[in-house]
Amino acid sequence: MEKKPNSSIDYLLLVPGVGFIVLFIGSSIFITITQSFGILSVTGKSQFTAANWIAIFHDKESLDSILFSLKMGLMSSIGTLLFAFPVALFLRKGGAGKRFLASLIKIPLFIPALVAAFLIINLISYHGIVNEGLLALGIIKKPLRMLNDKFGWGVVAIQIWKNMPFVLLILSSSLASIRDDTIDAARNLGAGTFSVLFKIFVPLAMPGILVSMILMFIKAFGDFAIMSVAGPTYPPSIALKMRNTATLFQEWDKAAVLGVIIILTTILITWIYSRLAEFVTGGK
Amino acid sequence: MSAIRQISPWYLRQARRRRNFTTMLTAFFIIVQVLWIGVPIFMAVLWSLVDPNHPWSYPNILPSVLSWGQWSYVFKYTNIIRALKTSYTLAPCAVLLSFVLSLPTAYVLGRKQIPGKKFFQTVVLLPIIMPGMVVALFLSRVFTAFGLAQNFFGLVLAHTLMGLPYMIRVLTTSFEAIPQDIIDAAENLGANTFVKIKDIFLPMVRPGLLAGMVFAFTTSIEEFNLTFVIGTPTFETIPTILYSFLGYNFIRTNASVVALIMMIPNIIMLFVVEHFLKSDYLSASLGKL
Repeated sequence: MEKKPNSSIDYLLLVPGVGFIVLFIGSSIFITITQSFGILSVTGKSQFTAANWIAIFHDKESLDSILFSLKMGLMSSIGTLLFAFPVALFLRKGGAGKRFLASLIKIPLFIPALVAAFLIINLISYHGIVNEGLLALGIIKKPLRMLNDKFGWGVVAIQIWKNMPFVLLILSSSLASIRDDTIDAARNLGAGTFSVLFKIFVPLAMPGILVSMILMFIKAFGDFAIMSVAGPTYPPSIALKMRNTATLFQEWDKAAVLGVIIILTTILITWIYSRLAEFVTGGK
Repeated sequence: MSAIRQISPWYLRQARRRRNFTTMLTAFFIIVQVLWIGVPIFMAVLWSLVDPNHPWSYPNILPSVLSWGQWSYVFKYTNIIRALKTSYTLAPCAVLLSFVLSLPTAYVLGRKQIPGKKFFQTVVLLPIIMPGMVVALFLSRVFTAFGLAQNFFGLVLAHTLMGLPYMIRVLTTSFEAIPQDIIDAAENLGANTFVKIKDIFLPMVRPGLLAGMVFAFTTSIEEFNLTFVIGTPTFETIPTILYSFLGYNFIRTNASVVALIMMIPNIIMLFVVEHFLKSDYLSASLGKL
């Protein structure tokens, strides 16, 4: 690090990158908040009102879509973690064929979300390969409905497939910092595979687990494209509901309320995460 | 062989067993992964090759006739060529702009010790963290007010916004990795700021720059929310075309052609990043969030 105190120029150099982001993200957040209270409104007259907030909280569809999006966020983060953790453990030590495997696994990271959605739709559709396979094996009697289903299994499946490598990368970097000595010591003291897994790997990788879960939750909670392609017809996801309210019904003020709810949830979850991370790492 | 096994001590046998077990486990994981990645892509390829006159429907395990008919149909009767042109002119513009904007910022974040650095590093991540549709919808209000909606320059700005976090993060890591000795030595030998930039900083961040450009480029190619709200119907990119095929009029064969058109360049770029760059830039840009 250079030590010369020259910080006014340094801050000036930050402006192109940080300033650009602050200008665009900041202005969009600002407009969302003001518009949710009827200020700077496009439709109707521009004056302070809480009517939109009250209307949203009395609208059953809005509440349902908030709950549904929360559920999808939670399911996707847990699901992706369950799939990625064993693979991350397996890839922790290098070995025959693992380099190839590691780059193969990363492919979905570079596949756009909509394409991923399409690829998985092909597999889980009514007469898709998954249903036909299960039928042929005699596990199910008639095809399962996994696409646009009421629970949202299709959405969860797409989120898991698309974001597995993303979570894997985060988990791998936190698993890589666990020293072999720790594991050897535990084994020496008589720890079995399960004790090593739950008393060493899981606690020591906890910061990585929390980060990946939080990022997955935020992604899946505010998602528009995957939910609108594979989600149920009712309830719509909160982002889908917001977009429809804004562009189909031209009720921008109500859409802004939904937007603020999405932003607040994201902030709340991130805050809870930072408290949890403090708790886990002992307040460091 | 069995004689050897009998006379070899137990710990060697155990080691061999463990080695066999590891090999089997590796094989198992590789097979599962190949299926996990391969089957979805294979199905898409298969669907794109179904002959238009011989539809592939339920009782048939495999399509009866394969042809390039769907590909020529998509190129002839949809807006795909125009969308490809839009996507592939938009992306280089966004990459160039985000490179110019992120270079000074990444330099400060990577090499200077300033108060509030952690805060700025978090702010830089906002475009990735913020829910895309909220930003898209209400940024479109701002863009409309300034005449940037339904406008090519507006789309370039939007795509730059989404690519900047990756660019800044990767370049910051590259700047951090430059040893201070080299800079000190150059200063000792009388290098001025211009020479330092030209002969030290730019050559040493070049691998990171390549990685950042690949990230910004793929981000731009797959950007959907902002393009959908700000650009359509004047501008169509490949994702918005694919969305229209997946939405109201779901035509699986057409969608599979568009999906492949969008996917193949991205996979090639992944292997470019993996094989031409030594350090792990994927985790540099994503891992340490």
